[in-house]
Amino acid sequence: MMQLKDQFEQVYQVTEQIYVGFLNSYGDNNPLHTNAELARSKGFRDRVMHGAIQAGFLSHFIGEALPEKDVIVHTYELHFRNPVYLGDRLTLRAVIADYSESVRCFEIKFRFYNEAGTEVSRGKVSIGLI
Amino acid sequence: MPSKNDVIAQMNDIFRDVLDNDDLEINAETTASDVEDWDSLSHIQLVVAIEKHFRIRFTTAEITAYKNVGEMAEGILKKLPA
Repeated sequence: MMQLKDQFEQVYQVTEQIYVGFLNSYGDNNPLHTNAELARSKGFRDRVMHGAIQAGFLSHFIGEALPEKDVIVHTYELHFRNPVYLGDRLTLRAVIADYSESVRCFEIKFRFYNEAGTEVSRGKVSIGLI
Repeated sequence: MPSKNDVIAQMNDIFRDVLDNDDLEINAETTASDVEDWDSLSHIQLVVAIEKHFRIRFTTAEITAYKNVGEMAEGILKKLPA
């Protein structure tokens, strides 16, 4: 079973497939995500990837990468710190920050970093054992 | 050492935050059936928030046994340092 202070690391890449899949699935074609010229005019390097893609990576991490499989997500808290661009490889670093035995609930704190080592987001996820 | 009413007042703030209801007023007799949105999932979130706020831990048996807010408050008081 997972223990307090257990640490995990997982690498995810924002591929064309993920980006296009997100656009097609949710229809968020806001120009910031789809128009490179506009994104640059706003001070970004290129089209900014949807922040919710990182929530998708979190979903994979919780559902597939943790040693516990019988889990259910209660809450996601996700704070964006820097933009993410197409092709970026993100490293997720997570730690079991708390465990409430009475209600069988873990709190996992995490941060995503890009290849330059810049933090792009942070937050926490609470999950329950089922 | 806080009084039972002090503890319930602090619990009220926690309930308001977790259930996102600034008008909520709980008392010693309050149960889940009295409070909209106090369901099984929010119950977990309430317990976790209460444990963090008071720096205590409940057991599963204790959580299951509490019949109302007042009994939980008494349970909290027993766990606080003297």
